[in-house]
Amino acid sequence: MAFDPSSLRHLFPILAQTAYGHPLTYLDNAATTQKPLPVLNALQDYYRSFNANVHRGAHFLSDRATNRFEQARETVASFINAPEQSHVIWTKGATEAINTVALGLEHLLEKGDEILITSLEHHANLVPWQQLAFRTGARLRVLPLTSNGEWEPEFRHYFTDRTRIFAATQISNAIGTSTPLQIMLDHAKQQGAFTLVDGAQAVAHYPIDVQTLGCDFYVFSGHKMYGPTGIGVLYGKSHALEVLMPYQTGGEMVRHVSYQATEFNVLPYRLEAGTPNIEGVIGLAAACDFLSAQDRLALLTWEQSLASHVYSRLHKEGGIEIYSPEKGTTLVSLSVPNIHTLDLNAYLDSQGVAVRAGSHCAHPLMAQLGVAGTLRASFACYNTMEEANRFCDVLLEAIDLLSDE
Amino acid sequence: MTDTLSIKAQLQTCRSKEETFKTLVTLSKTLPRLTAEEKTEDNKIKGCESAVWLIIEESHGIRHFKADSDAKLMRGVLVAILSLVEGKTLTDIQQMDLKAELAELNLSSYLTSSRTNGVLAILGKIASN
Repeated sequence: MAFDPSSLRHLFPILAQTAYGHPLTYLDNAATTQKPLPVLNALQDYYRSFNANVHRGAHFLSDRATNRFEQARETVASFINAPEQSHVIWTKGATEAINTVALGLEHLLEKGDEILITSLEHHANLVPWQQLAFRTGARLRVLPLTSNGEWEPEFRHYFTDRTRIFAATQISNAIGTSTPLQIMLDHAKQQGAFTLVDGAQAVAHYPIDVQTLGCDFYVFSGHKMYGPTGIGVLYGKSHALEVLMPYQTGGEMVRHVSYQATEFNVLPYRLEAGTPNIEGVIGLAAACDFLSAQDRLALLTWEQSLASHVYSRLHKEGGIEIYSPEKGTTLVSLSVPNIHTLDLNAYLDSQGVAVRAGSHCAHPLMAQLGVAGTLRASFACYNTMEEANRFCDVLLEAIDLLSDE
Repeated sequence: MTDTLSIKAQLQTCRSKEETFKTLVTLSKTLPRLTAEEKTEDNKIKGCESAVWLIIEESHGIRHFKADSDAKLMRGVLVAILSLVEGKTLTDIQQMDLKAELAELNLSSYLTSSRTNGVLAILGKIASN
């Protein structure tokens, strides 16, 4: 039996509205997903019944808040199969998590060391490493991957005995390609490099097992997996988190402070300075529960079938450049020669179809593809086949209206 | 070139986002394109996701404008903007509330501070000394 999105679409009240008189067709899920009722209810429940600062006061509400806050850490740890909940660090999002690692490892880097990334990275997994390289004299190297994410045997030469850090995305945000993660991680580990995986585009679609992946760090954002904005996760192995120098200091992350010195707290608190985003944490745990209660494989298969349906319909039309792989992705990234993607986007918007047009925070990848930007339709579990078809219909209308005869 | 009144009328009577879109596409065809030599870095407006070039020439205190973009809708928006300011003095232009005038033309969605357009940057350059 095929998955039926109507089984859960009613949990997303925001989708039941019109935009400029048309049914809202939300296909910008790689930018952020909509939030289901269980997440919305959890946020409200926090403020209605147990709002208090965590780890501090010894009173009724504070105990409840602290318990739920630490339960959430357990929920997220089991969601990604982390061995211990202390391996889960709360951050603002994937970007802050990557910056925490880049700044935290700075003291271990020397001139001539190498930081290796892939050519499919979002700026969030590029700029922090580039800036780290500038500060330390390390060299930023870029492993070239094709838009199909193909691995060539000669790529192993990019992993050298000077590779200290290897950071790669699991799935490209701009074109939806899955990278050959396991083989790259194996090569990086053979060289003794720290390994970081950017899972921002993966967590909403794929079950994640950080122990099977074996990476030192895994990062993601809550808002791309049906959770709230402003909350994300830095997972790390114990030894990897232990060597990170905290880049923020202050309350919560200390055990004892005098004017002469400060003794830092243990993990995870050492890397969580200040009052955390408690509502975000509670909401993220609710999003994990929401996803864990679903048949994850059925959702993924459905999302992929929407993307491959759009791919094959548009491929048949001709005259449309598609940058995403034909199968195995949950988004379709494309451009139309001689028509600006912003113009296509404006017409889709006028018909209530929400997509993303632009460079997707991946300027070097756009340069590699030879385009200024693409139009990206990205799917989530609540999207229907009618919506996939509507995107195609409206896009074809737009092309018709914008073509110079 | 379509005169100012008719441009105003065409845009003001748009009843939907779709009509505005189609009108902008029509207007875009009336914008004389810049030559490759005119599309210099200096003439480029910063802050637009689509590329926009704007050239201001002044004679006897009167301002004349030429503009272009790689995006069609932006060319339509440029036609609308330039129709409001073409042939005016700097003082006249500075006394105008261009944002309000564009809002009256159903173009307010182009005036948000979103990174997808730089219309505010264009208006800034038009009224700069």
